[in-house]
Amino acid sequence: MMDVLVQQLFFAGAEVWLAVMAMVLLVVGAFVGNRATAAISYASVLVLAAAVAFIIGLNGHPRVSLFGGAISTDALANFGRIMVFVTAALAIVLGDRWMKRVGLQKFEYPVLMLLAALGMSVMVSANSLISLYLGIEMQSLALYVLAAFSRDNPKSSEAGLKYFVLGALSSGLLLYGISLIYGFTGQVGFAEIANALPTSSKVGVVFGLVFMLAGLAFKVSAAPFHMWTPDVYEGAPTPVVAFFSSAPKLAAMILTARVLTEGFALATPEWQQVLIVIAVLSMIFGSFGGLVQGNIKRLLAYSSIANMGFALVGLAAGTAAGVQSVLIYMVIYMLTSLGLFAGLLVTARQGRPLESFEDFAGLAKVRPGLALVMTLLLFSAAGIPPLAGFWGKFFVFKAALDAGLVWLAVIGVVLSVIAAFYYLKLIKVMWFDEGDRPVDGIAWDAGLVALAMALFVGPISWFVLPVLEPWALRAAAILF
Amino acid sequence: MAALLLEYLPIVVFMALATILGLGFILAAAIVAPSNPDAEKVSAYECGFNAFDDARMKFDVRFYLVAILFIIFDLEVAFLFPWATSLMDMPKDVSIFAFWSMMVFLGVLTVGFVYEWKKGALEWE
Amino acid sequence: MDAQSLITFAIFAPLLGAVIAGFFGRLIGDRAAQLSTTALVFAACAASWVIFLQVFSGSLEAFTLQYLRFIDVGSFTAHWSARLDTLSAVMLVVVTSVSALVHFYSIGYMEEDPHKPRFFAYLSLFTFAMLMLVTAADFMQLFFGWEGVGLASYLLIGFWYKKSTASAAAIKAFVVNRVGDFGFALGIIGCFWLFGTIEFAELFPQIAAKSDVSVAFLGMSLPAMDLLGVLLFIGAMGKSAQFFLHTWLPDAMEGPTPVSALIHAATMVTAGVYMVCLLSPLYEFAPVAKTVITVVGAVTALFAATVGLAQNDIKRVIAYSTCSQLGYMFFAAGIGAYQAAMFHLFTHAFFKALLFLGAGSVIHGMHHEQDMRNMGGLARFMPVTYAVMLIGTLAITGFGIPGTYLGFAGFFSKDAIIESAYAAGLHNGAAHMAFWFGLIAAGLTAFYSWRLAFMTFHGPLPKAHEGAHGDAHDDDHHHEPHESPMVMLIPLFVLSVGAVFAGYVFYDAFVDHHQAEFWRGAIYTAADNHVLHDRHDVPGWVLWAPFVVSMLGLFGAFVAYIWKRGMGKRVADRGGPLHSLFYNKWWFDELYDATFVRLTRVLGDVFWKVGDQKIIDGFGPNGFAATAAHTARRLAKLQSGFVYHYAFVMLLGVLVLGALGLWLSGVWG
Repeated sequence: MMDVLVQQLFFAGAEVWLAVMAMVLLVVGAFVGNRATAAISYASVLVLAAAVAFIIGLNGHPRVSLFGGAISTDALANFGRIMVFVTAALAIVLGDRWMKRVGLQKFEYPVLMLLAALGMSVMVSANSLISLYLGIEMQSLALYVLAAFSRDNPKSSEAGLKYFVLGALSSGLLLYGISLIYGFTGQVGFAEIANALPTSSKVGVVFGLVFMLAGLAFKVSAAPFHMWTPDVYEGAPTPVVAFFSSAPKLAAMILTARVLTEGFALATPEWQQVLIVIAVLSMIFGSFGGLVQGNIKRLLAYSSIANMGFALVGLAAGTAAGVQSVLIYMVIYMLTSLGLFAGLLVTARQGRPLESFEDFAGLAKVRPGLALVMTLLLFSAAGIPPLAGFWGKFFVFKAALDAGLVWLAVIGVVLSVIAAFYYLKLIKVMWFDEGDRPVDGIAWDAGLVALAMALFVGPISWFVLPVLEPWALRAAAILF
Repeated sequence: MAALLLEYLPIVVFMALATILGLGFILAAAIVAPSNPDAEKVSAYECGFNAFDDARMKFDVRFYLVAILFIIFDLEVAFLFPWATSLMDMPKDVSIFAFWSMMVFLGVLTVGFVYEWKKGALEWE
Repeated sequence: MDAQSLITFAIFAPLLGAVIAGFFGRLIGDRAAQLSTTALVFAACAASWVIFLQVFSGSLEAFTLQYLRFIDVGSFTAHWSARLDTLSAVMLVVVTSVSALVHFYSIGYMEEDPHKPRFFAYLSLFTFAMLMLVTAADFMQLFFGWEGVGLASYLLIGFWYKKSTASAAAIKAFVVNRVGDFGFALGIIGCFWLFGTIEFAELFPQIAAKSDVSVAFLGMSLPAMDLLGVLLFIGAMGKSAQFFLHTWLPDAMEGPTPVSALIHAATMVTAGVYMVCLLSPLYEFAPVAKTVITVVGAVTALFAATVGLAQNDIKRVIAYSTCSQLGYMFFAAGIGAYQAAMFHLFTHAFFKALLFLGAGSVIHGMHHEQDMRNMGGLARFMPVTYAVMLIGTLAITGFGIPGTYLGFAGFFSKDAIIESAYAAGLHNGAAHMAFWFGLIAAGLTAFYSWRLAFMTFHGPLPKAHEGAHGDAHDDDHHHEPHESPMVMLIPLFVLSVGAVFAGYVFYDAFVDHHQAEFWRGAIYTAADNHVLHDRHDVPGWVLWAPFVVSMLGLFGAFVAYIWKRGMGKRVADRGGPLHSLFYNKWWFDELYDATFVRLTRVLGDVFWKVGDQKIIDGFGPNGFAATAAHTARRLAKLQSGFVYHYAFVMLLGVLVLGALGLWLSGVWG
């Protein structure tokens, strides 16, 4: 028994390592206090880097099922974990420097990030409803606290509270769905559920599945479970939002893909329709909602809602190419979004962050480099070729077309044109509007992240995409 | 199916009785009892005071904190109890595994406890 | 070097020059830009002459060199290539020689202009486009060159873009050419439709077999070859400023004078003639199209000559003269004497470039004065210019002794055309008309050419020009008319040599006994077309007629502008109906303004204000945008900020989705 346990613990090494190190750093922080924040932050980055290295070492290893089928390590899980850990590390760096500047520096921030990353890591490798729920809750609890991290700021507290209350509601829906499915199939493992489906009540399973999807849709902020997003994005500290908009979405998306295709392949026609409705609603709410926003963070919230809609289009295709397109799309979206939020952190005006359209008026005259970086990222987000954002959309819509969902792809393209408006508006404001009020100095950490992401969506993506595409396909192929 | 439902019959009977009796007494009181209210009759009684202010007053967040922290350790005991009763009945290798599993769990909780202690969450003043 | 490398070099050297001067002109400075472009064009010129002499001596066979595939869609293929035969060899030397001289001349002429690299880049770009045009082996490249020279012409006419008249003239040239290009493009499309190819080498052999194909159009049955011929000719009319589409050419004189010499006299405007000669295999089977060409050419020759009589702007006179000479070339081609047309094109390039550059020298010497009424007696101040202008005038009036081989260049080519027209006119009404029109126009040509010479160089210098001259000039040096610098005079000498000898030297090869060996099939003449031969049998009076009428023209000009000085001015001041008809260019501009321009503007207003703004924008972009903004505001209202609203939406959502799930799983049927 023990040797099996040791072997399983080895394959779950990344998770065990993260958990142990999170606790170690927590205790260190508790004893040393906020003086150790910077050290703990960099230690956390190293912890994540080590976890990434470990997973890369595991890469290519066949699928291993762990802890009685609760989680498994496979190409998809590895893909997800690497992306999650990398973005978490970037968010820790961004957040630590920014919080130091605004006087919010606390050692809990990197620890909470580690715990959230651990939760996501469980999410992307979950293979049963129990670990699915565990992962989601672990991630969510850390994120609730992070949303309210600037606790003396009423908006931040409000954001945390709203997120928590609505998150609890969504967890309730999710649990209700899980219990229904367990009730009707008698199983919690995805593979076992798939085996039990033919003999189970279809109505009950589908009803439970809808509730589960509602809970998962909340996590990716897909409509109509998106209402929290703009408020939380606006209120929460910007580096936290940068993280919100990236890794959790990817993790939840991978989890959704896995549970739907591994557990409910037989119910594909049903969940496909539900996903299509969610995708279309998300694209509509995200695209139209962003048109009238004056706050960039709220705008990016709507952008992320719309982007989740586009990603779900790929998932709705229900094919390996569809999941592959979602993975590619999510990676590109994640990095673009991270770059945009980093761009918001680069500078301020007398210590007040730039958050509204007026703040950005004429930025190109004052900070042409920053304006250029933002422009590149916004063009990519709008899906202008030859930038990476275009290729993300291309793969998603192609997957939908190949699956015969022509109208869905057409709606997606039309709405992405509408969504392009607000990206272009910000570009126009930066380059053509009057205003040359000076800004504070450049924060190089955020500047470098934004620049790196801008280069990624630009030239680097042309070299990365040929690598990313087969990798994502390998990861997606696990599910089929 | 019918046999299964039949087992629940006493419950149904019990609920019906409860409903009938409850409603019956309320209705009887409303119909039979004399009703002749005056100011003294309807005023607050027992302790004899009118309320000084709203009962929904603010009070210290530390009450919540202590309550939340209490719940964590309360649940810990809830986990420990079935574990403790069944540990010795298991085969030896399983019981060792079970013992260390609980130790890990307690260790994790201890980390949390250390954190809350060092952060001063347990100090009232 | 072999001919293949030489022709490649000749074509691409000007492009290289254009790139250097255009993109790096500011980097390397004015002088380097001028020298590099000029040197490259001179090198191209040398290469072209080597090729031409090889062709001339008969030691070089025609060939086509393919560089790259351009378009390959379905059965449609087009290539970038260089076609060398006698026709393109002739054009190569004409284009590169005039271009090289104009480049050289411009170094002096544009000395005071602040944008020299741009000017030289445009000139070289034009040269490249023109070479692409003349060496095209299919319609696609022909069209590319066609539009390329159009672009360069547009850029150069509007070179002084701050002058509103120059910009307007540039736009006019562009727009009028669009009309022609419409026909041209239709012609090309028609060729592809009929023959399935646009490659000349594949297309020409098919023509004889399809010569009697008809095309049904609007209930009419049109012979296909005539239809194609007329459509293509419409393109030529636009580019070569023929009657109805000629209005842009005089206005194009707003460009710098070297440009007028290169583009609007020697090369680009002759592209139409070149195309008709190139397509001789097609036109030989298109009698109606040939008649159209003859009539349009003859009318243009006469019409432009009449207008030239009354103009006062020195460049406009030469411009109308160009227009008229192009008319000669066209009717020569129309009657089947393609060789004569090409010959006149060849000689005309020399003497017309000479006249323009001479006029440029006058304008330069007069400090940008162009009105001949403000000139006079310039022979004293600029004797060299006077001498070369005299040579040019003698050449254009076709001075020479009939029956001998003594004469200036124009004598050989123009008389060849007039004789051919007479010969063809014996059994062809249109050609007969062309003969008479050409003859009258020859007299008028002599009159206005000598009028120009007399008004400019003879008589007293009017005091009026002091202070009345042009604006594009710093008034910091003396106002005395002065001779131009050597850099401007050398090209004039070279062109003078051409204007004197080009006719005599090449007469035999182009149009006389050895023309068949010279052209070697580059120009196709049908079996029943012996115009070139028949012209030797015309009666003696036809030989002498051009001489006599040009002498009459000379005499008339002498009387009106020297002997009875002031007579021309009195006629002009009286403003009789004939004079005002000519002076106002037959009111073509006014006519077009009243019809096409107004009509287009009204139509444009309707399409813009009703069609575009109300219907397309209203229901399209603007309407859609307004709807989107409206929807966005409605959606924003949902975002109230209250948690219970959000929770309500979530529950509502799960309810609807649950209902959808139940329906999908077949609960309700």
